[in-house]
Amino acid sequence: MGHLSYEEGKKVVFKGLIILGIVTLVEVFVALLGKGYIIDGFHLPVWLMYMLMISMSLYKAYFIVYEFMHMKYEVPGLVKSVLLPTLLLTWMLIAFFSEASTWRKWRAQVNDKPIAAFSAPAAETHHDTEHKDGSPSEVEGHAAPVDSMAALPDTTHAPVKDEPKPEKHH
Amino acid sequence: MSSDHSAHSHDTHASAPSWEGGSEPFKASYGKLMMWYFLLSDAFTFSAFLVAYGTLRFSMPTWPVPDFVFSTLPFGIHHQPLIFVTIMTFVLIMSSVTMVRAVQEGHRENKKGVVYWMFLTIIGGLMFLGCQAWEWTTLIKGESMSITKNPFGTHTENGVYLEGDGHDIKEGDRFEAGQSYLIHYHDGHYQPLKMKTDAGEIKVQQMGPKAFGALFFFITGFHGFHVFSGVVFLLIIMLNVASGIYSKRKNGYEMVEKIGLYWHFVDLVWVFVFLVFYLL
Amino acid sequence: MSANHHTHIETDIHIEKQGFDDHFHEHHEGDKFQTNFIFKYIFSMDHKMIARQFLITGMLWAIIGAAMSIIFRLQLGFPNESMAWLKPILGKWITINEAGIGSLDPEFYYGLVTMHGTIIVFFVLTAGLSGTFSNLLIPLQLGARDMASPFLNMLSYWFFFLSGAVLLYSLFLSTGPFSGGWTAYPPLSALPQASSGSGAGMTLWLVSLALFVVSVLLGGMNYITTVLNLRTKGMSLWRMPLTVWAFLVTAILALLSFPVLFSGFLLLIFDRSLGTSFYVSDIFINGMALDRIGGSPILYQHIFWFLGHPEVYIIILPAMGLVSEVLSVHARKPIFGYRAMVYSILAIAFLSFIVWAHHMFMSGVNPFISNFFVVFTLIIAVPSAVKVFNWISTLYGGNIRLNTPMLFCIGFVSMFISGGLTGIFLGNSAIDIQQHDTYFVVAHFHIVMGVAAFFGMFAGIYHWFPKMFGRFMNETLGKVHFWITMVGAYAVFGPMHFLGMAGVPRRYYRFDSFEAFQGFDDMNKFITVAAIITFFAQIMFVVNFFWSMYKGRKMTTQNPWGANTLEWTTPIEAGHGNWPGKIPSVQRWAYDYGKDGIEFTQQHVPLREGEEHSSH
Repeated sequence: MGHLSYEEGKKVVFKGLIILGIVTLVEVFVALLGKGYIIDGFHLPVWLMYMLMISMSLYKAYFIVYEFMHMKYEVPGLVKSVLLPTLLLTWMLIAFFSEASTWRKWRAQVNDKPIAAFSAPAAETHHDTEHKDGSPSEVEGHAAPVDSMAALPDTTHAPVKDEPKPEKHH
Repeated sequence: MSSDHSAHSHDTHASAPSWEGGSEPFKASYGKLMMWYFLLSDAFTFSAFLVAYGTLRFSMPTWPVPDFVFSTLPFGIHHQPLIFVTIMTFVLIMSSVTMVRAVQEGHRENKKGVVYWMFLTIIGGLMFLGCQAWEWTTLIKGESMSITKNPFGTHTENGVYLEGDGHDIKEGDRFEAGQSYLIHYHDGHYQPLKMKTDAGEIKVQQMGPKAFGALFFFITGFHGFHVFSGVVFLLIIMLNVASGIYSKRKNGYEMVEKIGLYWHFVDLVWVFVFLVFYLL
Repeated sequence: MSANHHTHIETDIHIEKQGFDDHFHEHHEGDKFQTNFIFKYIFSMDHKMIARQFLITGMLWAIIGAAMSIIFRLQLGFPNESMAWLKPILGKWITINEAGIGSLDPEFYYGLVTMHGTIIVFFVLTAGLSGTFSNLLIPLQLGARDMASPFLNMLSYWFFFLSGAVLLYSLFLSTGPFSGGWTAYPPLSALPQASSGSGAGMTLWLVSLALFVVSVLLGGMNYITTVLNLRTKGMSLWRMPLTVWAFLVTAILALLSFPVLFSGFLLLIFDRSLGTSFYVSDIFINGMALDRIGGSPILYQHIFWFLGHPEVYIIILPAMGLVSEVLSVHARKPIFGYRAMVYSILAIAFLSFIVWAHHMFMSGVNPFISNFFVVFTLIIAVPSAVKVFNWISTLYGGNIRLNTPMLFCIGFVSMFISGGLTGIFLGNSAIDIQQHDTYFVVAHFHIVMGVAAFFGMFAGIYHWFPKMFGRFMNETLGKVHFWITMVGAYAVFGPMHFLGMAGVPRRYYRFDSFEAFQGFDDMNKFITVAAIITFFAQIMFVVNFFWSMYKGRKMTTQNPWGANTLEWTTPIEAGHGNWPGKIPSVQRWAYDYGKDGIEFTQQHVPLREGEEHSSH
């Protein structure tokens, strides 16, 4: 359904190229500026940076869908039938992310508990668990629950305990 | 893709579009609608991936800073955050633009023009895939990140290094909470450095969250797979256009339009992949 | 049978006069796709044949799935009886001790439970129900020659077939089929070493389900575009029968929810075979810590149920649609509250996407966010109740024909009410603490989406069997089938509520080591016996089905039920393209029963002189 003449269409294409290019550049600029790469010591507040970047990406998405995919020239019903269902993702985002931060908080709570709280023979605190291939354990603080579980009396945890601690022989 | 087999003839449905039946209420053929709804469902596939990414990221105490991770360029250039991926993004946008041109030429039933612009689109797609291959190789070979190991960690406190890794970090360098680091991989081992926090605690570098590497390779890989299959379909349809079979068919160039929708969708997904992996 | 106001000839005259000619038969040189056996019966692109393929494959799977339930019900009802007689079928999964007592392998018991769920939910009640009737009825009731893309429609069936073949194969693995529950929660599904079924069995399960998703998506896209683009002249949305509304919304649900499941599965496949940690964290096997950190099994549950909840409506909505139509035809009354029915379908569909975590109240979901899920869940009661009241009001004062399809419709309403009410209990996160994972849950979902959906399906089969095969099913056997199933289903699932309230957990292999559950032995025996009897009633149905296909009473008129919808304007033996000449055009809505003292007026019949459109 070409609703634009051929010449108009061509113009829109090159306008699109320029718009998308500029928005992408601005996004990258904001990211770098915000994190202090461009002006030493100058940072943007994270929320502002994120808001700017997310809204610019949404604008790009809008532009691609509406101009490049010709959504602008489609019947409103078609537009709605394709775009409205994506709103279902809103609640998905809220619920999943709220869950995620709950997990983070709960994990942190577990990590903050003194090891003794988990069980009797308070094993020495390994700060890091080394795995077989010599890689240190995961995220800081995250190693703790593994250790504290390993400190439970009933679990044999040979690989965890017997490995040399990463106190640096490499 | 199945229009030859369709048991329908649409010529009688050509009356004014309305919901009263006997016409196409969305002024779009069933094939185009199917492509739209396929893309809608594919959007949900990608959304689920990106939501899973966000969920795992938010559940972690730290997450590698992207402009530290993605800061390498070909020809041995380092510490140029996000430049390479910006180039990749441009490549994809360019190929989207050439695709729009191909569709426009299709509306004019200009066979040569369609083939020309589709050919450029395919080149763009291949360039993007090449960039991605290079990026992956750098991360895997150069920086030893894999789907199970992520050497990109993040400091949670301020402090000072007690040893250097022989490259970027020297003994006595300061670091701040929130900065990312790359654990050096040498002689088949990761070599975490010792450091002293300002609180006086001696620590060693920790590996970053595993999910970072896994999700990065998985989601960009899935997107890359879409690009790849897009290139394959573009190629097939370009050859079909060149052979002239669409010119014979009624509304035959709609196939170009449909693959165009798919190709823009790939670009659309990249907007969000770019946002969440590289910018945020 | 009621008097047919419109004979063949009258119907044909109407179609000839008002219908429109799309020159279909000129383009299509007859039925070039049906010229030989392979293209007529196997790789058919005729929606009516594909519907029959879906139906018969679904029935085959229903028998397998139900037989599995009988085996594990035997284990639950009679844990001390010998199962040596099953040795010829189950082979090594029956161990016979020195005393000659054969017992079912516990691992295989879990495999049976898992496969029963997977098969019935996906293969029977998704593909077998929505696949069959969407394919059969969407083009016929809309006045279309076929689906929008007959080719993709054929692929949809064959992907389903392939998916079934893969799952069937997994039943014969030496390590057994997947045995971690149909929901396939990690870590049992994520770690191949977790149980014997978690290895190859789980891999095949995932392959099978991935193929199934492809099948559903191909079908769904087809159904949606067909409803949008191929309605005949005059068939506005508000004149569509409720069946088509239900199939449309079902297809939308499938299109939006199955991709999410697909993503979840891909992540799971990575966890299984490439060692990533999306869904696993802090895992110990035999006391050894695995190098798997940072994932969350609850993430899988969220993703799974984001599909899983819409999935239960994908199952029940087509049944609701079928029931609405059949109920109205056999009550000889317009459906009560047609628009309310449509709006409640839409409301249910929307709500189904925002309530998924009510399956996970006890999984460690943040109780705060649970509150929202409780509220959203309980709101579903509103549109559901609207539908129930409308069905009952449709029956009220109707000139009811108590034949088999009608009986199954009434049975459906009964089941939907009883099962729905227990849903209100379970939707409360506080009450769910006691009820979760007990037989109360089993009773709830079996009644509300298992038995009810089956009843809808039976109603549909008995009602549209003449359309599919040109013959009627045996009515006496049908009634016997109904009454045994109705009573049997309540006898099986009714007592389970008590078991659940007493805290008896689902999926357990046996209960003798639990002091508290000793008192339920007799109840378990009763349930098992009832289940066996009900199962044999279904076998009787299958026999009736195949017998009637060849020997049933022949259909002699186009419209034996006196129904209004367009499928009854096609010839008894409709070929490819459905109508031999022109396509009928639609003049009125689908529910003009008893209007102006005329028993029924078909949709293609123009308004009589002085007649006005029914307001609805």
